[in-house]
Amino acid sequence: MTDSHESNTGPKPLLEARGLTKDYGDTRALDSLDLAIAPGEVYCLLGPNGAGKTTTINLFLGFVAPSAGQALVSGLDVSTHDRESKRRLAYIPEQVMLYRNLSGIENLEYFAALGGQGSLGRERLVEILVEAGLDGDAAGRRVSTYSKGMRQKVGIAIAIAKEADALLLDEPTSGLDPTASSEFSALVERLRNRGVAVLMATHDLFRAKDTGTRVGIMHYGRLVTELSTAEVGHADLERIYLEHVSDNGGPR
Amino acid sequence: MIHHIVRKEFADMIRDGRFRWSAILVGSLLLVSLAHGWVQARKASQEHAAAQATTREHWETQGEKNPHSAAHYGVYAFKPRLALSFVDEGVDPFTGTSVWLEAHRQNDFLLRPAQDATAAQRIGALTAAQVLQHLVPLLIILLTFGAFASERERGTLRQLLATGVGWRELALGKALGASGALALLLVPAAVAGAAALVVANPGPTASPLARGAVLAGAYLAYFVVFLALSLAVSARARSSRTALVFLLAVWVVNGLVAPRVAVDLSKRVYPTPSAFEFARTVEREMADGVEDIAPPDRDESTERLLAEYGVERVEDLPINAVGVYLQESEEFGNRIFDRNYGALWDAFRRQGILQETLAAAAPSIAVRTLSMGLAGTDVEQHRHFAEAAETYRRDLMRQMNGDMTENSLTGDFSYAAGAELWESVPPLEYEAPPLGWVLGNRILSLAVLGAWLAGAVLLASAQVRRAEVA
Repeated sequence: MTDSHESNTGPKPLLEARGLTKDYGDTRALDSLDLAIAPGEVYCLLGPNGAGKTTTINLFLGFVAPSAGQALVSGLDVSTHDRESKRRLAYIPEQVMLYRNLSGIENLEYFAALGGQGSLGRERLVEILVEAGLDGDAAGRRVSTYSKGMRQKVGIAIAIAKEADALLLDEPTSGLDPTASSEFSALVERLRNRGVAVLMATHDLFRAKDTGTRVGIMHYGRLVTELSTAEVGHADLERIYLEHVSDNGGPR
Repeated sequence: MIHHIVRKEFADMIRDGRFRWSAILVGSLLLVSLAHGWVQARKASQEHAAAQATTREHWETQGEKNPHSAAHYGVYAFKPRLALSFVDEGVDPFTGTSVWLEAHRQNDFLLRPAQDATAAQRIGALTAAQVLQHLVPLLIILLTFGAFASERERGTLRQLLATGVGWRELALGKALGASGALALLLVPAAVAGAAALVVANPGPTASPLARGAVLAGAYLAYFVVFLALSLAVSARARSSRTALVFLLAVWVVNGLVAPRVAVDLSKRVYPTPSAFEFARTVEREMADGVEDIAPPDRDESTERLLAEYGVERVEDLPINAVGVYLQESEEFGNRIFDRNYGALWDAFRRQGILQETLAAAAPSIAVRTLSMGLAGTDVEQHRHFAEAAETYRRDLMRQMNGDMTENSLTGDFSYAAGAELWESVPPLEYEAPPLGWVLGNRILSLAVLGAWLAGAVLLASAQVRRAEVA
């Protein structure tokens, strides 16, 4: 069954939330989120801790079940098409964790194989790692010797290898130095240009403005406003963000 | 997809120094204990064979004497070591492996290494069975307690599951990967064990290789139980530390607490007398008789013979009345022995059944029972040999008393038989029970181990299904 709805105004969204809601007991972590991210779009979710950003990503990953509404990936409802929807997704967490006893190539090979890419061959794997910004010499070394930035690059390589429709990023540049953050943004830009839809949860207003095409500000589980990054400057974004996240409404 | 998980788990594991060292340690202990057991078993077999030949030679060359004196002279019988006894020496060190067969007495077994061993030697005597029953499960726990819990803590589990791989595939891949790493340790040991079986003197037993195959299957099932339990706990535990502590507690209960409790409980429910009490009871009953088993009366015996042969005086009897009386005494003694040893064996059997039932609380009890049974060193096979030896003793006594009765007259104390009689007595040819007999006795342990296997796999499946990402 395909759950996508036809849109008359543009390409079908690759990531879509329809009235997506998540309650943990009496606490509403996400409240009726409606969101549609088209191919080639980078949507940045901004908001303080507890705003619902990671819950949104977990719902798209199918790691938690929605209390109401739907999360759709390439038109597939995550709740009913768990594996198929994940096949179309790539995910990079705040800290990409890899297997220390395996090399970068072996880690990539493993995650790519589980993601449905089969055996890519050593040459292709090295190509992907280099494309992700990892030094070719480092690719064969055990991951236990890698810095956080190098691990994030392997994470990007995993996403590239998967050739996913959509990319979920959860605070991906947290803890990276400015150079590594900038390289990371460039890689996201390249994926965007390939038509990948990107949903990035971040605290980093500068990176959101720099990398994103749209920004959504969340507060207490609600999407309180959406902006096009082309229409706001860095200073405006910061002002608008602070206006919306000042504590003027508690959790429901 | 599963083969990718298996390959990764295997590579990850064998590159882990902790695994390498613990596997080298356990593998070395296993191989050393197998080699030591094999050397000991071979040495014991050779010593038994030599002693058996010597006792036979002594019997045949004892010179001319009265057959009843020869019956008192007696012979030794040695319980043969079956081919697989090098894996599991079972109860042999406690029950003994040789028995002196003589007139009027069913003797206890001798040669009990445990009796002569110091406490340190008893603890330190590591057998292959102990390594397989205790150390390999510990290694399995150390290898797999973090299978899910550590991945959850590290954050790799989220990334793995985000690829679209299912929990069940992940669990199966992890189980097979860990099995592959364990196979590096166990396959060489199994090959060494099979080679030892082939070159060992297999002893009087049917199909040692079939016994070996069933033994390997039982241990494999036991290891899968631990693998499945470990994965189940790892899938549900909030942290790898919690998983490890819980699994170590299971290991302690399974290997140390439950077997001890099972033995103590079975002795409490079905008590057996001490060796001293037992000997005193037999001695008393041999002197006084009991209930409907009365000691033979020599005068009555003589009167019966006089009537049977229609003569007035014992001197006129064509047979030796003393020989008849001695055999009647033997028969009386046999009934007393059957009564007491029968009750003792029955108590042991009930204790064994209760212990096998208690294996429902700890699979080590089931696998230990099966291991001893297949190695030919359990109580049942000790009983099998003891009964064969006792039957031989009774036949021997009957033949000696019969010869005395037939070939001498009452009061003729000068009669002496010679080598011809001694050589006419065949040596004890013991045939160990076949595999079917052993498995028939161990059906309860097989069933309980099977239930553990099914239960552990189902539990792992259920826990993995209910596991959480974070």
